[in-house]
Amino acid sequence: MYEKQRTRYKGFNVLDEKKEWDQHTEEIVLKRLGPFAAPKFLLPEEKEMLKAIASHLIYDDRKEILEFVINHTDESLTSPVGEGERKPDAPPLKDLIRWGLKALDNAARGQFDCSFVELNAGQQFEMVAALQKAKAYLVPDWQQIPQKELFKKLASLIVSAYYAHPTIWSEIGYAGPAYPRGYVRLEFGLTDPWEAERNEE
Amino acid sequence: MKNNNDYVTHNHDHYKDHRQRDLANRKYKDGADICIVGAGAAGGVLAYELSKAGFSVVVIEAGPFWNPQTDFASDELAAQSLAWQDTRLSTGKDALTFGHNNSGRGVGGGTVHFTGVFLRFHESDFKTKTIDGVGEDWPIEYQDLAPYYDKIERDIAVSGPKEFPWGSFHGPYPYPERNPISANSQVFRKGCDRLGIKSVVAPLAILSAPFDGRPPCISRGFCNQGCMPNSKFSTLIHHIPKAIGYGAEVLSDCMVTRIELDDQGKAKGVTFNHDGKEHFQKAKLVIVSAFAVETPRLLLNSTCSKFPQGLANSSGLVGRYLLTHTGHDIYAKFDDEVRLYKGTPVMALSQDFYETDRSRGFARGYTMNAHGGRPVSLAKNLAVSAGIWGSDLYEIMRDYNFYARITIVGEVLPDYNNFVTLSEEKDEYGIPRALASFSYGDNDNKMIAHGVAKANEILEAADGKAAFVIPDSAHLMGGCRMGRDPAASVVDEFCRSHDISNLYICDASAFVTSGGGNPTETVMAIAARTAQHIINSR
Repeated sequence: MYEKQRTRYKGFNVLDEKKEWDQHTEEIVLKRLGPFAAPKFLLPEEKEMLKAIASHLIYDDRKEILEFVINHTDESLTSPVGEGERKPDAPPLKDLIRWGLKALDNAARGQFDCSFVELNAGQQFEMVAALQKAKAYLVPDWQQIPQKELFKKLASLIVSAYYAHPTIWSEIGYAGPAYPRGYVRLEFGLTDPWEAERNEE
Repeated sequence: MKNNNDYVTHNHDHYKDHRQRDLANRKYKDGADICIVGAGAAGGVLAYELSKAGFSVVVIEAGPFWNPQTDFASDELAAQSLAWQDTRLSTGKDALTFGHNNSGRGVGGGTVHFTGVFLRFHESDFKTKTIDGVGEDWPIEYQDLAPYYDKIERDIAVSGPKEFPWGSFHGPYPYPERNPISANSQVFRKGCDRLGIKSVVAPLAILSAPFDGRPPCISRGFCNQGCMPNSKFSTLIHHIPKAIGYGAEVLSDCMVTRIELDDQGKAKGVTFNHDGKEHFQKAKLVIVSAFAVETPRLLLNSTCSKFPQGLANSSGLVGRYLLTHTGHDIYAKFDDEVRLYKGTPVMALSQDFYETDRSRGFARGYTMNAHGGRPVSLAKNLAVSAGIWGSDLYEIMRDYNFYARITIVGEVLPDYNNFVTLSEEKDEYGIPRALASFSYGDNDNKMIAHGVAKANEILEAADGKAAFVIPDSAHLMGGCRMGRDPAASVVDEFCRSHDISNLYICDASAFVTSGGGNPTETVMAIAARTAQHIINSR
């Protein structure tokens, strides 16, 4: 399923340069490699569901990266800080995610007669795609869960975390933190020596 | 304990690892001349000018007093904490997103994580009704602000071109333009050149040479994540420390919940919350500089028997005519790498489409910014705003380095039906959460379509292939518009509320129209003018 070519920058590892970063940034980035504490908000079954949803949204099922994505999501859900904005008809983030996952699971049971995590990848994908269009299998739960909002909040949390993972930075050829040294060669076609070099076949 | 030897951390009351929690010993406990609510673009300038003039000034800020060295990071996810994240309810046909793209939190406010693009309004921006029959005229003209634009640019050493082709100010800027410019800005200028569109290196509140003990920019590219070298101006590192040097006190992590009035209906101070405890700051004059959402929210929450509809609201217009900028991001793919992460995000721009041209089918116009960006915000916006995920998202992001971007900063016309008000839901301070409603009008949508098409033309002229567009908005203004008629505006031309003579409302909420460019310099120029007015009225 995820067999596509992952990188145009084979062998580039942004972490090779971590000694050049400021200490505060280095600490923050290295924490993303784990180990991670057990979730404080997410229940085990919610965690498994989120992992399945995340793998579809980010098109990746690598365990160590999904663990970070789940960890970031859990931290966001336990944080006392607000959620920026919310639609007046949507429940607060924690409830939206908890009730929303329940609703999606109930929809899976209604449509396929098994839980969401038991579905095959194709069926899961169809359900996530339906959620984005507010066309998930009809169950009473959706009356209090706006499907598009659920999709957007999940996408926001999961995709943000994924593209903050240093492995993904390396794969897309993003040179990452740049303090205190900065970039010198900014212009078209120029790179600093520590930047990723394209070497795709 | 972390190392706190950098000069920015001197003199303030509390920040990470060094917080003074004892508000009982604050400097102006028994009263100050002036209390400013909010330490952002406007509040910082007001604190500086007024304390320098000899007033005793207290600034009360909801968020922390950041230390760039230990609180900022070269990281997008971590930098989300610099934004105002408290939940706001958002609705309307084009419901606004709040947070990193428009709302700051902490000393410095939005200037901590803005791109540094520093533009003046044009003369026409102040009289769109007279000239174009749309929007509303301001009670001031360009010439009223011109000396303050000059002053602000000198005060912070704005870098920019020798010749600026548009508007009334044609340069030169105090500091030379940034050089070199990023590949993304080069691509933009190449496309513009081939189409005969004028472009320049952007005027920036980012140093091109040393100034005031601060180093020039190292092109790290993390302007939106908080500048760690202190090369980018913010009121956190410029105006606020200087204001403290002139005797001002900054109370950070303190949320102002109410403006209090005396028996005569004059402001007598503010109530604020720190660590769950309520405090009062007495002052002879109160200035609200808390942003286009929090300013109306505070005024509407400060009801009393004399003003049951909220303060300064006899017109019923507090929170009305909320403005944003259209901020669509247009991407094209190139055969070679552009690497959007390098350098100051915006290093080139064009205002060739700024003024009204009726042949385009809409009034007013926009600034085009060549706009770099980072993976997290791109991927998130693709998924959330453009609805692209899964393998489609993956394929775009794998080729992240091959995309160039232009962002449109387009003028949104004022509409009574775009507003901020109080919702039914309360936050942890017991204040009703803000409810914002926003929808683009017909003129706005026509402008977006034009800007998107024009941006694609430029990128294609530079040999790119049009790829995708991400709908976005940026900057918030309006909500307490200025005007001469107390029945049709909230404050006068000096940001003094029509209803309460010692209550000023001075920030982007006083904007009457949005203009077609990044608004920070205008916010600061208005604040400097208001400060001068208060000094003159002493």
